[in-house]
Amino acid sequence: MYRLHLASRYTFQRPVSYLAMVAIGLAVMALIVVLSIMNGFLEETRSFLRGTTADIVVFPHQIQFAYSREALEDAVAEHPDVRGACARLVRPAIFKVYGRAPVLHGNSRDAAQHQVLVLGVDAEAEIAVTDFSEYLANVETPLFRVADPERPFHLPIERIRDLEFKFANAPTVLVSEEMLSGLLLRPGDALNLVTVPDSALQLDGQPVKPASQTFLVAGAYRTGHYNHDQATVYISHKDFVRWTGTQHQVSELYVSVDEGADLDRVRDELDAKLRDIGMVSTVETWEDRHRIWLGAVENERNILLVIFFFFLLLVCTITFSVLTMMVQQKVRDIGILSAMGAPAGGVGGVFATCGIYIATLGGVFGLVAGIALASNINAVKDFIEDTFDIEVFQKEVYAFTEIPVALDHQWNAAIAGATVVGAVLICLLPAFRAARMDPVEALRHE
Amino acid sequence: MSDAVLPADPGTQAAETRAAAEPVLSARGLVRVYRIAQQRLEVLKGADVDLFAGESVAIMGRSGAGKSTLLHALGLLDRPDEGSLVVRGVESTRLSKPARARLRNKQIGFVFQFYHLIPELSALDNALLPRRIEFGPFAWAGERREAREKARALLAELGLGERMGHRPSQLSGGERQRVAIARALVSEPTLLLCDEPTGNLDERTSGVIADLLFEISEKRDHTLVMVTHDAELARRADRGLQLHEGRLEPLDA
Repeated sequence: MYRLHLASRYTFQRPVSYLAMVAIGLAVMALIVVLSIMNGFLEETRSFLRGTTADIVVFPHQIQFAYSREALEDAVAEHPDVRGACARLVRPAIFKVYGRAPVLHGNSRDAAQHQVLVLGVDAEAEIAVTDFSEYLANVETPLFRVADPERPFHLPIERIRDLEFKFANAPTVLVSEEMLSGLLLRPGDALNLVTVPDSALQLDGQPVKPASQTFLVAGAYRTGHYNHDQATVYISHKDFVRWTGTQHQVSELYVSVDEGADLDRVRDELDAKLRDIGMVSTVETWEDRHRIWLGAVENERNILLVIFFFFLLLVCTITFSVLTMMVQQKVRDIGILSAMGAPAGGVGGVFATCGIYIATLGGVFGLVAGIALASNINAVKDFIEDTFDIEVFQKEVYAFTEIPVALDHQWNAAIAGATVVGAVLICLLPAFRAARMDPVEALRHE
Repeated sequence: MSDAVLPADPGTQAAETRAAAEPVLSARGLVRVYRIAQQRLEVLKGADVDLFAGESVAIMGRSGAGKSTLLHALGLLDRPDEGSLVVRGVESTRLSKPARARLRNKQIGFVFQFYHLIPELSALDNALLPRRIEFGPFAWAGERREAREKARALLAELGLGERMGHRPSQLSGGERQRVAIARALVSEPTLLLCDEPTGNLDERTSGVIADLLFEISEKRDHTLVMVTHDAELARRADRGLQLHEGRLEPLDA
């Protein structure tokens, strides 16, 4: 009984104990927050890549002739594990806001003219295979949403802003919510897309004439991935062919596979089949396509384990120092306890219990604070940015519109638990020293 | 029995009573050697003493003679290098450390010159410390109320009824020593070992503390052993012993 009683008095009547608890708590909190952000980053990245890339992507090698879209889709659809496929056309282009000077202001991403990747898609097939419908629904500003999510490229005539309706029959484009906001655009506004048409491939000695087309903004989408949203626009497959004059019908074929199917196996079987029918293609799973990126993110998370080891060393050092100092200051008390009949184990137990109090309370504080901070990290970020007028999280650098967070409670518990166990174990050293102290020497201690 | 264990006045009736009684503590040939910087320092060279229930014994000697070493050995805090030490019929030199600690907790109370109270605890909690050590957490739950009542009564008897919640830093020297006496008595030990109990107090307070020690040990039938330089205090004891050349001798009147 005296162990708990004395340990609580020794621990809670000494400011240095609270400092040690705060230090342990801060270490645990910092690690939980960093890990949660890393997990969030990885989860968001995987989710985004999975959503925008589909399960398997087929890149046809159309060197001598263009593959038939229907033939390619049919060949792929015959595989028993394939759920659906959608053909996409892809082309880089210059994006220019209609009626504005090329440069609105210094930031090239928000300038009235910049480079984008134009995706020509069949909306119905895209919705069936990717998370396209979610991107349309994610748009936060009601004004920017498409009129009909089933037909996202449809622009009702009442939304056309040009009073003379000179572009009433123009094709439509979907632009990200970020771009619409940044460029002060809204549905119904006109913009130009300029690219090199397929006819420019003719070797007639003439200079290349760009293909320019005016599009009307039908609405916005939002993936949440900053880099993608700032540099990608969607137009319909039909309008893409008409604008570029391309003979090709497929730049890439997105394939969705049944839940639980082995993607690597399906990839290999599709690759073999397409070779057999003469439609040689590169076939990749979504993980193959982003293996370097995913590997880098996972590697960063694993580095956290190494950092965690050093955090643990720091926590152990702090706890060891505090307990060693406490034993040093309590030498005479050790003699008194021995004189009163406390056994050596009991004397050591008093100090071990002090260590348990410090480590446990510090660990619990860190766990609670870490989860609370990680859960509200964006509110904290906004508060700091608003209060101090500084940019804490640069969207351009991290490619997300807000700090991604995913709390992994098993990991959090493991961090707090390992910290507490490590700190308690290191406390046994000064406690053991206290237990071994000669009571007579202790009583004589000045 | 050596000369040392004879009473100061061998002719008294008390001496005859002691001779017939069983000692509560019997030490024979206690030797304690310290090795300091490769030098052998023999502090106790075969000290003998018998202590009987209810008697008070003063141990005197010049500084550095080994009085405190002897007291620590008698109190089972230090293990002698040679000799026998029987407490209540138990040969303590053959006991394990935990067993010696248990025996110390039950049979021996200490009062030190510098009080040695734990600064974080109140007067009441300091006085209760030996009882807390005696019981484990589960047994303590059953004993707590009775132990607290007893400690309160003891502190009140020692004149600290209004100071039980005070920390040592909030008490005077005399009050601190009273708390230390209450702590030494709370387990109703057989032996009360005092190491210069008035050595750190002014003359008036010394007298009060000495009165308390003699009164309370007589009233409760404790064996009181005091190491002191104070001849007046030694004179009040039933008998006096002098530690000389590592051995105990009767104190000259």
